[in-house]
Amino acid sequence: MTIIKFKDKKVSEKTIKALKNGGLVISPSDTVYGILVDTANEKAVEKLIRFKNRPWGKPISVFVADFKMLEENVFLTKDRLSLLKEVLPGPFTVVLPSKHNVIKLLESEKGSLGIRIPDYRFITELAKKFARPISATSANLSGRSPHYSVQSLLHEMPENKKKLIDLVIDAGKLPRNKPSTIVDLTTPKIKILRQGEIVFKEKKIYISKSETQTKKIAQYILRKISRGLQKKPLILIIEGNLGVGKTIFVKGIADILGINNIVSPTFVIYYEYSVSAHPQGVFFKNKLIHIDLYNIQDPEEFKHLGLEKYLEKGNILCFEWGEKAGEIMDTLKSRGKIVYVKMKYVDEKIREITVKN
Amino acid sequence: MNILAIETSADETAAAVTNKRKVLSNVIYSQILLHKKWGGIYPSLAKRAHEERIDQIIDETLIKFTKVEVFHPEGGHARIMQNIDYIAVTQGPGLAIALEVGIRKAKELAEKYNKKIITVNHLEGHIYSSFVQNSKGNPKRDFKFPYLVLIVSGGHTEIVLFKNHMEFEVLGETLDDAAGEALDKAGKILGLGYPAGPAIERLSSQVENKDFYGFPRPMIKSGNLDFSFSGLKTSFYYFIQGHSGKREDEKSERIQNRFWTSQNDKKLTELASSFQEAIFETLLIKTEFAINKTGINKLVVGGGVIANLYLRKLLRDLVKKHKGEVYFPTYKYLTGDNAAMIGVAAYYKAQKKMFAPDLNFDRIPRLTL
Repeated sequence: MTIIKFKDKKVSEKTIKALKNGGLVISPSDTVYGILVDTANEKAVEKLIRFKNRPWGKPISVFVADFKMLEENVFLTKDRLSLLKEVLPGPFTVVLPSKHNVIKLLESEKGSLGIRIPDYRFITELAKKFARPISATSANLSGRSPHYSVQSLLHEMPENKKKLIDLVIDAGKLPRNKPSTIVDLTTPKIKILRQGEIVFKEKKIYISKSETQTKKIAQYILRKISRGLQKKPLILIIEGNLGVGKTIFVKGIADILGINNIVSPTFVIYYEYSVSAHPQGVFFKNKLIHIDLYNIQDPEEFKHLGLEKYLEKGNILCFEWGEKAGEIMDTLKSRGKIVYVKMKYVDEKIREITVKN
Repeated sequence: MNILAIETSADETAAAVTNKRKVLSNVIYSQILLHKKWGGIYPSLAKRAHEERIDQIIDETLIKFTKVEVFHPEGGHARIMQNIDYIAVTQGPGLAIALEVGIRKAKELAEKYNKKIITVNHLEGHIYSSFVQNSKGNPKRDFKFPYLVLIVSGGHTEIVLFKNHMEFEVLGETLDDAAGEALDKAGKILGLGYPAGPAIERLSSQVENKDFYGFPRPMIKSGNLDFSFSGLKTSFYYFIQGHSGKREDEKSERIQNRFWTSQNDKKLTELASSFQEAIFETLLIKTEFAINKTGINKLVVGGGVIANLYLRKLLRDLVKKHKGEVYFPTYKYLTGDNAAMIGVAAYYKAQKKMFAPDLNFDRIPRLTL
């Protein structure tokens, strides 16, 4: 068993080499630490099942690089494809009828395959270079809880299991994201087999049961809409009644940008923050402007807010009480990418968050 | 040492000339009357009004300072400015476009008359407001460090350890809404106009500041000195939603209007008082926690919310229990935003040679202590 650091320049090469040799690789992912093996190597897959103490016949999901690789491995209708394009890459495992290009041990008895496009470049790049799916199962033994650090993972692992592992990629502590949400798409009616952090909906509706969850949803949404958005500022118009959690939503976004001192800007209309963390795939490297239009009454106002100067690439503008932004909407639309976030009370604790591009 | 101080962090355009802790002249132009009509700060007015009035306010301040009645802008300025040693200006926290107006003016004057600038944190001003004296040097409060400071205003809620002049340590602060903001928002839900604080105070006193509904006291068991008022706002809003029997998807203002026109005044006073009590009791619990934690029983309180006489009484009772003392802003105008407190804070900065090294500084909207 070799342990290498995630920052190791040759991490990708070393991983691919280990996979090609039929090895088990423990790797960080967008959710928890997982085990990677070559899905076309029967010996490797058997070793994985032995490692996990996985009952035979219980399927194991796979990572793919992109939609092209996804379609090479499972059957899906046009409708389902366009639905998946809305939510992937993301923390979802989708179960679809397999084209049997992977070792049969990975599939369910019904011949379906769980498949993931993770929101994690290391793995998608790896799958691309490797040119076939890689196993996507958490690095805990069956029935045990998942691991967020290599240390805790190795601590719990019996010596005989350690011998089965060839390579460990240590990326330190991972954020405590839940395992993926597993969605069964083999039948016309969509079934949720396991609920992860993000609720899977056909429309872009998210249900939050706590402030923490609202933040996670905000981060998930940011990652999704950031993709391909490098040349324009992002403008989030956040609507919802008093106390529904708009500032919490902005705090979630700020968190992954390294900003941790967000407070309500109501009193001064807006605050400006400098982005200090640069998560992969998120291209906003300059400023976060947190605006609250709660006190705005008159459209004339906007001319004097001086917000135009923030409409530059690399900036995120979050508008609370965004429904009042009517007057400057045309300017915003012409110079930025607008995303509407609507937050509604379901009850005192639960919120429904709808996203519209 | 005479300091010309300028403050434009939110909706007051203010200038003052101070000497040590003494206020020699002080002019505040408040936009609250303008904003009242609109139910909140009105930024276009805020910026434009600052821009339009700043010159006039500074002139008035200087006239009052010299007691000269007729004032010739050019020659007069230069002559009076000979008697000004430094220029102080609020650098933040505050509304960016408003802060810019004061800073631009301060730089212009500094350049023209070759003066050094002292940049002041608005919160430093609030802290020193309890030690500001009138032109005759009253009241004569001595500094007896260390103090615990509670700042409660529309934009801030903080507990600060005031160890010595210009030595601060933030012990706790709001994680979302400020106490004054929460009161304003609750006031708006109740249809009370802006700023809602005074109206809530009046309504609450009609029912002897009693608590009828037991809204939550947020974060009182958090074990730290941070505040959070957004959850309280949520439960207040939700409570009223529930009692108005209207659904969420309707426009909230319409709900409020229908609701309140059909309710009697008793309910209104009870709600106002219960909400105020939830805010104040939270402030009290956290302040007492800070007293116990630090062992400091000398309390300094600043910010607009301390204009509330009932809150003053509660804080007086609290320090009495701990055999301590409490200091409030020495004059009523010092609870709100003003330049006098900025000038006084600047004096203590000047004592420590804390001058702006050059004129290249910028406003810092989220400046902290």
